[in-house]
Amino acid sequence: MNEGSYVRPGPSVSRAGVSCLLMAREGKTAQREPAGQEALTRQPVPRPDGDDRLPPSDDPVSYTYTTDLAAIRAVVHRYAIQAGLTEARAIDLTLAVSEVAANTVKHAKSPGSLKIWYDVKEIVCQIHDEGIITDPLAGRRQPSLDASGGHGLWIVNQVCDQVEILSDATGTTIRLHMNLPHA
Amino acid sequence: MWYNKCVDLLTVSVTARESAGELYTLVEIAGEADVTNTDELRRLLDEEVSQQPHTLIIDLSGLRFMDSSALHALLRVNRSLDRQGGVLALVSPQAAVAKILRLTTADRLIPVFDSVAEAAAG
Repeated sequence: MNEGSYVRPGPSVSRAGVSCLLMAREGKTAQREPAGQEALTRQPVPRPDGDDRLPPSDDPVSYTYTTDLAAIRAVVHRYAIQAGLTEARAIDLTLAVSEVAANTVKHAKSPGSLKIWYDVKEIVCQIHDEGIITDPLAGRRQPSLDASGGHGLWIVNQVCDQVEILSDATGTTIRLHMNLPHA
Repeated sequence: MWYNKCVDLLTVSVTARESAGELYTLVEIAGEADVTNTDELRRLLDEEVSQQPHTLIIDLSGLRFMDSSALHALLRVNRSLDRQGGVLALVSPQAAVAKILRLTTADRLIPVFDSVAEAAAG
């Protein structure tokens, strides 16, 4: 995605092949909850002072990922359903988070982090990594189907209700908002 | 000709088949296709394209997820086949895969069928 709009500070992290070996031995295809799931670290996130856009008390959770995108997708889908999104919208949010996290795998030299929280109005997924987006219009223009990249952030903008991209020299934070159906 | 390879969460199976006297190549992709296994997916698909099949059918019914990297691999196959006079068809995408095909309008570029039999019949 957006090959030109990212600065690549170093080699991307290597790919793990553990799931494949497991699958081959057990003679079955991968499950929705991948084998690498337990590798995710879950920790409570203290509410940063002064940021009133974070939820007041709901339980924001934090995950660190390198290349285990299937595990990240499983987590996002589970929270999306739990928060009250329909299956179709949960798929949208899962796709969006996966596309953003894919940028981490491709362009960042260190792991990314994902935080998820929701209240009665919306569910928010916040992805942070050390990659840098230099194009202020990243993801706002529809790329041609002949383009070799650039669809990721565009898809994110299509499926989410609100997308915030905050990028500076220290890294990029992307917040994906999905409105919840009215109770 | 057949083989079955798996790359992380992805399984790719290839078989040569015949429908009404016409040979076609059936590629079944199962699991989850994303940036972490796109290079392998692309390599496996390139191998099939290099055999110059007239019809290449990709069965997506076992694929739970596809991101834009994997989509680019499919679009690349479509371009290559187009250049060499072949045809690519997709079969039975699940909801998440159908969504990205629709969003990017890739499903207007590459024909999508409900079954392998329909795709083989053209």
